[in-house]
Order: sequence, then structure tokens, then C-alpha cells
Amino acid sequence: MEYKIETNDADARVVFTGDITFSENVSFRQLLKDLSEKHITNCVFDLSDVGMIDSAGLGMFLIAKEQADTGNWKLSVTGAHGHVASMLKLTKLSDLLQA
Amino acid sequence: MSVSGNGGEQKLDGTSAMRAGIEVARILIVDDMMLMRQMIGACLTKGGFTNLAYAEDGEQALEIIAADPPDILILDLKMPKLSGYDVCRKLRADKKTAHLPILVQSASETAQERVEVFAVGATDFVSKPINQPELLARVRMHLENRFLINRLSSFRERMSAELTLAREMQHSLLPEASVLKAIEAACDCTIEAFYQASFELGGDLWGCWLLPENKLGLFILDISGHGVGAALNTFRVHATMTRLGPRRSDPAAFLTALNEALQPHFPIGQFGTMFYGVLDRDSGELTYAGAGAPRPMVVGEGGVRYLDTTGIPVGILSNPDYENRQERLATGESLFCYSDALTEAPAPDGSFLGEAGLAELLTAVAGEGPRATMVKRLLDRFYETRSRELPDDMTAVAIHCNAEGAGA
Repeated sequence: MEYKIETNDADARVVFTGDITFSENVSFRQLLKDLSEKHITNCVFDLSDVGMIDSAGLGMFLIAKEQADTGNWKLSVTGAHGHVASMLKLTKLSDLLQA
Repeated sequence: MSVSGNGGEQKLDGTSAMRAGIEVARILIVDDMMLMRQMIGACLTKGGFTNLAYAEDGEQALEIIAADPPDILILDLKMPKLSGYDVCRKLRADKKTAHLPILVQSASETAQERVEVFAVGATDFVSKPINQPELLARVRMHLENRFLINRLSSFRERMSAELTLAREMQHSLLPEASVLKAIEAACDCTIEAFYQASFELGGDLWGCWLLPENKLGLFILDISGHGVGAALNTFRVHATMTRLGPRRSDPAAFLTALNEALQPHFPIGQFGTMFYGVLDRDSGELTYAGAGAPRPMVVGEGGVRYLDTTGIPVGILSNPDYENRQERLATGESLFCYSDALTEAPAPDGSFLGEAGLAELLTAVAGEGPRATMVKRLLDRFYETRSRELPDDMTAVAIHCNAEGAGA
């Protein structure tokens, strides 16, 4: 997994590429740290280029959501398709993450 | 050997434990000149080392090493009977002494000699006349390395043994064969199950029990993530489930009660995807509820039908809304549940089976032999292209509703 953060004032967009799985734990935590250092009010996770996500990956999204709630910013996901979209729908996390 | 960690040393901090370990290290000094042996011995004694042994030639050195291996060897090269080179070669060829630190000391020091000394397996080299502080510093450094390596390898061995034990314990949470036999007899079905905890532990669990009126309950659970944390949570879930006996006949109520008990204790980001179903073999009615588990499949004559397990995994929200859904299993059909390792474990080319790929494979293998061994055929095909040592737990369970007169 790789990610790129694009910011525009208080809006951030994180564009992910590759798979989001358990082994991405460390880089995902780095992403959350990067986001916490920016003063944002909205953040969109763009999953258009993500091919698959496992349960640990979904767990990382929940941690991000928790960080958003405590940091008073809004998190949403967009562009999920195929396996990623099915996983978000199956676990109803699409509702929680406003996908 | 004295330098490896033991119960007493664990009370000391790392550095003082190492110092204590090094000072009692056994050092063998090998030199044919008595004066040299005395000089090196005095130097080491002054440096705080107390456990010294001496040999006059290569042969005597090997005898002493065989009887009581030292922690480090200080070795002369030119000696009668057996030279230092030969001692090195013999020690390195023996598994027991292959990693013994050997500090060679020699008077003649050509570039060629140094190359040869290292080629036969020496760890380090000091020149004669011996510079005492240098000798002490080198002995200390090699003993410290040995101490740290020993500590690391004994830690690794212990962790590996602990993980094996943990895997066995996780296995013991699964239904016993006698329980499954009783269910098979009461419900006229065949239960085919495969479970393998990953080499680094994981969070899979499945279970099956008999309910009143010859109904059977089946659950499959996958705690998110891998490793010890996920595995420990399977024990937590298992213990909680045993308290929920009265809810077992109502899948949605069962998941709700389980979530209520677990959610306050699950850290953010950890959860369990789950399926729980109750099958009435008399009517064929399957009542089930889902919490985001991979969709189980009903294998019938015309292919597979998916069960809808859409639902918030347990452990995330305080009030998820689980609902009961219905399906009917005809005689001769099978209910197949599995963990995501089956659809997500990559093949050598990086591709993964996915749900559609699994359904296709399942349909194919279902038609290739007796229904009661369908899961076995599926996994044989799956493992043809994947390692048996997956980083995630693997669970695959099928309830085969026996065809009339087929028996279990």
C-alpha cells in the first residue's frame, strides 16, 4: 500500500494505491500521525486504486474514524469498488464511514 | 554453560546480567609455552576473569573442550602434536563447537597467515607480543557477543515453544469429535471441518452444538488482525459464548448478546466477523444472522446460493442491529462456511481466489466425488498452489445434509 496526501486548506484527500492488509499496519499508523499534524476539518480516503482490503485493513479504517471523531474532523471514503466495496458493504462499515 | 540466561539472572538488568555472565565465563588458554600461558592467565585474572583452564597443545585442548566446553578459546598457532589451524578446523566441523569464539594469537604475522587463520574458522586474531589491554578488550567483546546471541536464541526457542503451545490450546477450543458424532447422529448430517491456526497465530474459531428438537447451531468467527492479540480474543469470545446458552436458538439474539458482552472490551480497530445459524433438519429450515462474515454458501445441484451475512462485526458498536434471515436446505445439500484466508490468500502469481472464484471451485469439486469429502477436495486443490503455512488462520466447515438412506 502507498498513500499520497493532498491538502487544500482544511480539506485533505488521501489517495491509496495497492492492497490494504495487516502488513500495512505500520504505514497506516504513519498516515494517521501525518493527518493528526495537519489542521483539517474534512478528509476523504480515495480507494479507487485499491484492489483488496482484509479485516485488519477495515480495522485501521475504524481507528482512523475514531481519530476523526476525537479530532473533530469528518472522514469519508470514496471510490471503493470490487472486493473493497463488497467488504465495506458486508460489514456495514460503508454506513459508518459514509462511503 | 554459565553465560546463558537463567532464573537468577532475570532479576538483574541486561547490562549487569551480562557483566556477571561474562566474569564467570570459562576461558581455555592454549599455548605450548608455559610463560605465555602464565602471562595470558595473569592478564585475564587481572581483568576480573576467574574461570580459566590451560592446555599445552592442540590435542590436549580438544580433550578439554570435549569434556567441558569453554565459552571462548585463546589459541596459539604453532604447537606440537596438533597445530592451531587443525584445532580450528576440527572445532568448526563439530556442530557443538561450530560457533565457539576462537581468538588466535601468533608471533609471525603475514597477510597470508591472517587470511588462512580466518579461512579455517578463527573468530579473531591478536599478534604477539601480546598487548594486554587489547587482549582483554577482544575477549570481553567476543564474550559479550556470545552472551547476547545465546540470550537471543534461547528467547527465540522459548517463543517458538510458546506459540506452538498457544496453537494447540486454540485447537482445544474446537468441538470434540465425540460431540460432532452425536450431532451427526441426531441431525442425520455429516460435518466436515478443517481448521489450521497460522504459524504466527490468528483469530479464527468455529463451533457447533446440538439444540433442543434435534436442531443444530453452527458459528464461524474471525477476529480481525493476526497474532497473539487476535488469538487471545478467540478465548474471550469462546468463554463468553458458554454463558449465552439460552440465546442459542435465536441467532440474532445470540449475536446481540455476544456483542453486548464483548464490545466494551474490544480495543478500537479490533472486531470479529461472524456467522451463526440454526438448522432444523426436520424442516430443512436454516435461521441465521450475520456480522460481516464471508458469505457462506449452500451447495445444491444447480451450483451455490449465497447467504446474506451483511452486518456490523461484533465488538464495534454498542447497538448493532442484527436480524434473522431464512434459507432452506434440501436433503443432499450442504452448508459451507469458511474464513477469508480461503478467498484472500495469494497464489504465487499474486492473484487471489475471491468469492466468485471460490464458488466456482466449490461447484466443480462438489461434482467430482462423494459430498462428504467435498471440503477435502476443495482444500487439496487450494493448497496445490499455496503454502500450507499461511500467515492467516484457515477454517472451512461444511454441514452435509445426508441424502435419504445415505447415512452419516
